[in-house]
Amino acid sequence: MKTLRDTGLLFHRYTVQMLRNPVWLFVGFSTPVLYLVLFTPLLKDLPGVKGFPTGGVLELFLPGILALLAFASGASAGFGTIFELQSGLIERLRVTPASRFAILIGPILSGLVMMTVFDVVVVAVGVGFGFTVHWAGLLVLTVLLWVLAALMAAFSTATALVTKDISSFAAIINGINLPLLLLAGVLLPISLGPLWLRILAHFNPLYYLVVASRSLAAGHLGDPAVWQAFVVLVPLCAVVLMWATRVFRRAVS
Amino acid sequence: MDSIISTRDLRKTFRSQRGNVDAVRGVSIDVARGEIFGFLGPNGAGKTTTLRMVTTLLPIDAGTAVVAGFDVAREPGRVRSRVGYVSQLGGADDLATGQENLILQGRLYGGDLASVTRRTEAVMEVLDLSEFADRRVKTYSGGQRRRLDIALGIVHEPEVLFLDEPSTGLDPQNRAYLWDHVRGLRDQGATIFLTTHYLEEADALCDRLVIMDHGEIVIEGTPRELKRQVAGESVVLSILDEKDAPARASALLGGQAFVREISADGDQVHLYVEDSSAALPQILRLLDGERIGIKSMSVSEPTLDDVFLRQTGRSLRDSGATSNEERAA
Repeated sequence: MKTLRDTGLLFHRYTVQMLRNPVWLFVGFSTPVLYLVLFTPLLKDLPGVKGFPTGGVLELFLPGILALLAFASGASAGFGTIFELQSGLIERLRVTPASRFAILIGPILSGLVMMTVFDVVVVAVGVGFGFTVHWAGLLVLTVLLWVLAALMAAFSTATALVTKDISSFAAIINGINLPLLLLAGVLLPISLGPLWLRILAHFNPLYYLVVASRSLAAGHLGDPAVWQAFVVLVPLCAVVLMWATRVFRRAVS
Repeated sequence: MDSIISTRDLRKTFRSQRGNVDAVRGVSIDVARGEIFGFLGPNGAGKTTTLRMVTTLLPIDAGTAVVAGFDVAREPGRVRSRVGYVSQLGGADDLATGQENLILQGRLYGGDLASVTRRTEAVMEVLDLSEFADRRVKTYSGGQRRRLDIALGIVHEPEVLFLDEPSTGLDPQNRAYLWDHVRGLRDQGATIFLTTHYLEEADALCDRLVIMDHGEIVIEGTPRELKRQVAGESVVLSILDEKDAPARASALLGGQAFVREISADGDQVHLYVEDSSAALPQILRLLDGERIGIKSMSVSEPTLDDVFLRQTGRSLRDSGATSNEERAA
């Protein structure tokens, strides 16, 4: 009960802060739209190539962008944490009796709401380019994207609290981001690649989300890739949230 | 004594690749309800580290701390709801107004909106912030911001308020203004525990203080008691540095009956004498006889710096920028 109340208070605080910082919002909006507008045209001749899944280019590429958005918005959460460590906000919150889980999850939930708004914009722009909307699939996909973004945000926040300074934090996050993104087939499907790459991708949690996101966007809710993504991501998210809460409970600065 | 803060043999060691730093080495203190208690010492003395352990922010390696009746290690939650803590950084939200900051803080301590709003208005009144209540914090001046930090520390009516270097970065006028506010809080019944490396602040503000150096308490008492230990007046001689003159001057003057205590620090020689008007002519005559030149000479009432110097052999004013261990903490 107390955790819920504290979470609500902090969610409100972070959402208000975000809305008062419009530059940040503009950057968040423009990145996925730029991908959609400037990258999709490069793919127009790909359907028919060996390994390319059936379906149109947008049906393949737009879910990838949504996955990328969830991954990136989660992974960048720690930059805010570093700033808050340096401004003394984290310490101010930690010295109050507020729930440690609420201190972690309040800003994460606020980030999820913002991400969902971006997702809606991306889909709307996609529809303008001819993307076909399958509502049920997109709703399930939204839940999966929340799980991924929460997982990444908790990981990123905890990493920021452990490293404490911007340069080592950025080195770790960037070092992890690139291989995970490349091995997930966010921009181009892994199915285009050789066998070893396709096998290696199965060790990447993000890969399962990207595959499921394409099935869901096409409206194939029964595709095994969908439940597989839940089975991989939900437990992982729970474990990372527990770890991050523990980091908050211990000394962090 | 009715202690609201009581620590016994508190210890903290920071481990890193470059080796271990014993930041706090056995600190035992008792702070009475309703007093302003100070930790005075140079940067890196372990003041902030001690404060962070007592306020539940840093795990205690060894020893015990009881605050407002609860053991800090065993019941951190109960301690948190009874103390206020203002860090060196403050931590107010720049993009929120002063009032929004205070309401969030009060509500995180469990208050309902109506009572927190009332309390917020009262606190802003006390700290002269009412007219800035609806302005965003990024427009605040340094002094206003520091008063808001303190307001954030007291909005939930804590039994003890911890202030870490409260007047760092403030100009003398704002510093004196802040001291008035801190005294006002004490007069209303609050207990205040502060750290400082400003001698003037410790002297002017604290009812009682300890001097800390290298993680240990050097001496404890009221400012008056501490200064009284350094009997008489202090004379500082700046010796012309040639042919071991400072060392010869120390040796020569140290043997004199009218010199109670003597210490040398570079080309400076500090003497403590009962009566400077009688001592000065003698000092001049003695130095002249040995052909030791002096650049300057000054006489002063004892300050806390003299107490620090006497206890550690160093001047607090000179040992300001020593270590960054407190930052690392």
